[in-house]
Amino acid sequence: MDTKLKSIKYSAWAKTAAFIVVWLGIMCAVGSVVFLLNFHETVNSKSYYDTHQFKNEFSTLVGDAVEYNVKLKSEANIKSSGDTEETINKKLQRYYQIKKKLSKSVNFAYYFKNTNTGETVTNIKAGAEDALALIQKQPSLVYYNQGTFDSNNLFSIDVMQMLEGAQYEIYAAVIEPLKPGDVFYDAFMSYSKNKALSNNATIILVLATILTIAAFIYLVMVTGRREPEGEINLSFIDRLYTDVYSMLVFLAAIISIAIAAQISYSSPVDIIIIALVFGIDMLIGLTYVLSMIRQIKSGQLIRNTLIYKIFAVCFSGKTFKKWTLLLLLGYGAINGVLFALAANSGGAGFFIFLFLIVPFNIAAVYFAAKALLSLSQIMEAAKEISVGNLDYALDNTKVAVAFASFAKDIQSIQGGLKKAVAEAIKGERMKTELITNVSHDLKTPLTSVINYVDLLKQEDLNNEKACQYLNILEEKSARLKQLIEDLIEASKASSGNLAVSVEKVDLHELVMQACGEYEEKFQKAELDVHITADKTFIAADGKHMWRIVENLLSNTVKYSLSRTRVYINVAKTGSCGVLIVKNISANPLDIPPEQLTERFVRGDLARTTEGAGLGLSIAQSLTSLQGGRFKVETDGDLFKVTVEMPLWKEE
Amino acid sequence: MDKLNVLVCDDDTAIVDALEIYLKQEDYGVVKAYTGRQALKALSEQKIHLVLLDIMMPELDGLLTTIKIREELNVPIIILSAKSEDTDKITGLNFGADDYVTKPFNPLELMARVRSQMRRYTALGSMAANNSILRTGGLELDPEAKELRVDGEAIKLTATEYGIMLFLMKNMGHVFSTEQIYEQVWNEPSYSAENTVPVHIRRIREKIEINPREPKYLKVVWGIGYKIEKY
Repeated sequence: MDTKLKSIKYSAWAKTAAFIVVWLGIMCAVGSVVFLLNFHETVNSKSYYDTHQFKNEFSTLVGDAVEYNVKLKSEANIKSSGDTEETINKKLQRYYQIKKKLSKSVNFAYYFKNTNTGETVTNIKAGAEDALALIQKQPSLVYYNQGTFDSNNLFSIDVMQMLEGAQYEIYAAVIEPLKPGDVFYDAFMSYSKNKALSNNATIILVLATILTIAAFIYLVMVTGRREPEGEINLSFIDRLYTDVYSMLVFLAAIISIAIAAQISYSSPVDIIIIALVFGIDMLIGLTYVLSMIRQIKSGQLIRNTLIYKIFAVCFSGKTFKKWTLLLLLGYGAINGVLFALAANSGGAGFFIFLFLIVPFNIAAVYFAAKALLSLSQIMEAAKEISVGNLDYALDNTKVAVAFASFAKDIQSIQGGLKKAVAEAIKGERMKTELITNVSHDLKTPLTSVINYVDLLKQEDLNNEKACQYLNILEEKSARLKQLIEDLIEASKASSGNLAVSVEKVDLHELVMQACGEYEEKFQKAELDVHITADKTFIAADGKHMWRIVENLLSNTVKYSLSRTRVYINVAKTGSCGVLIVKNISANPLDIPPEQLTERFVRGDLARTTEGAGLGLSIAQSLTSLQGGRFKVETDGDLFKVTVEMPLWKEE
Repeated sequence: MDKLNVLVCDDDTAIVDALEIYLKQEDYGVVKAYTGRQALKALSEQKIHLVLLDIMMPELDGLLTTIKIREELNVPIIILSAKSEDTDKITGLNFGADDYVTKPFNPLELMARVRSQMRRYTALGSMAANNSILRTGGLELDPEAKELRVDGEAIKLTATEYGIMLFLMKNMGHVFSTEQIYEQVWNEPSYSAENTVPVHIRRIREKIEINPREPKYLKVVWGIGYKIEKY
């Protein structure tokens, strides 16, 4: 039950309802207040007769009645007054006007009594005694006697003057109950209505205020929370920067005020418009207030401002170090002060400019340039390091303080890189040394194997099978020897542990020499070798180049299909001397070409033919060791190797 | 005449024994040693005409032994070693060895080298000098007799091969490209796409060199040409 209540309490529905209550409450309260203020006289007066409106109307009417009965009296009286024609006409006109007005004012009653003559005038149809009694009963009664009158300011000066000298007792009143037909009735009806409404308005005001305050307190408590003590959930509107939001709300308020100032409040349309504007303003305002409350609750009212964000970015140390920014601000401030001084001190301004501003700015430029110079030094160091010059020394003492930590970082990166490279080299060298040492240890027993196999062959074995076995032993021990040598070379070449003495080498000559060496082997393998070559001087180590070409030719001899052609081509392209060897493989080339240059991979997976699968790997390593490029391509049975070496440049 | 004695020194007895068999087949007397010290001792006790020496040995290694031998004797020394680096070979030869053979070696090749050194040590030194003879190491070219001899043994060459050798021996130590050799020997301009000269040179090497892959006299300078090494 409790939890259910809580869940209702924090539900969106409840919040929306509360929001609407607050909004409506404010609207009602304000509406009531406006109504009450507008009709404050009605509200404050005890009765209709207390109102100014009534008093004005009534006193005018009393005045008219006096004028009619005391001054003008009758048509005959006017005509016999002996005035000019014009005046008589005027008075007559007035007489009829008042007569008409009095006849219309059905609720107005008067009783005049001439104390001298005892003559009475009244507009009440009943007898004179009754009329006086009726009038005297009315709450709105006014009474005038020469010098004494009992009512407040109801008799204007005019009336007083008219009564001057005439001994009249005057009684006047509005007869209750009022009958429809005249101004008093209409005004009274409207007064009664407003009076009743004003009571309601007061009640509405009180109720609305209480409700609004209650709902508002509730909203303040629950807004942003989905559960008690829960986290503050910020709505999308809360993501607006607080200050920007405030400015927008402020702007809305100004626009509303401008609209309100433009409106004349005369027509109901205007009232509706102003109510609408006010309603929208309330909506915006309430949303704003609640948003602010949520921001306060989550403790980010300040942090969520644009100004704070800008400051945070400036001072977070990512874009500027705090003191760098302060330095810039300080620089700007000092300059500002100096310029202001110079501008305000007339003739002395020039000297201020000359002896303060100029040196100050020159100093600033000098220090900035110095800082930039150290930055460029650091950049230079980073560039050197990136291209592999790990020993590049960055002079720490020449770096400006602003970039000292940056320089230190670069140096530590350099140090780390250096260490890693050194370790990698050390590891590779150890590997090569290991292979070399193991190979040496293998060679000694292999020597005996080869020697004794040879000696055994010289013995008279008299056994065909034994001879056969011996031949296999001889062949395999020779292969083992070759393997060990290749292994050493491959490990050296791949680890870069080989000396390279670059000289001017004619690739054409070298290919010719190599082909001379392989002439018999090509013939034996029934290969037709086609060579197209031009003099091509490359920068390479002749011995290593020979090793590369030898490996390629030996591969060709080993793996080519017999009775096919081998094409060897030497040419120049751009900055490279290119050697291309093409042959037709005897076995299908099932291995992707990029794998063929890996160590111990051979074109035929069965590994029955001679060779260790190191030939291409060694050739590739040696090529890259000399700054060349080595590429293997296969197209069906066509096997193509391209070796590109840098051309020799005469100095 | 007494047998020529060869001192075999290696810490691996199997190798020493095998070498003993081969050397005895060649009719040499064999003295065996297993350390550098033993070798020096044997040299001081007997008349030795050639030394086969391993490098990696206990007590005194091959290189130090070579230095010690050279302090007193001019006997030919062939180093046998598993160390196959160029630098190892150069070090060995610089220390005073006459030849350097890497393990595992071909027994026949080793015997050929032994014979070659033996001939030079015993016979060539006493030969009468003939000024017209072109000579480097054990290689001699006699233009008058139109004969090429290696360690005193005549080699059969074709006319072209002889022409090439004559040209190269006359300009010993200089490197010539195939084109130059062709023009000099054939007396006509060369066609670049021919490998005649390299093939001939290879054949010559097979005739005059103990190991044609590692020639001693007729050397290939890869990508540049050929030359006769000057000793």
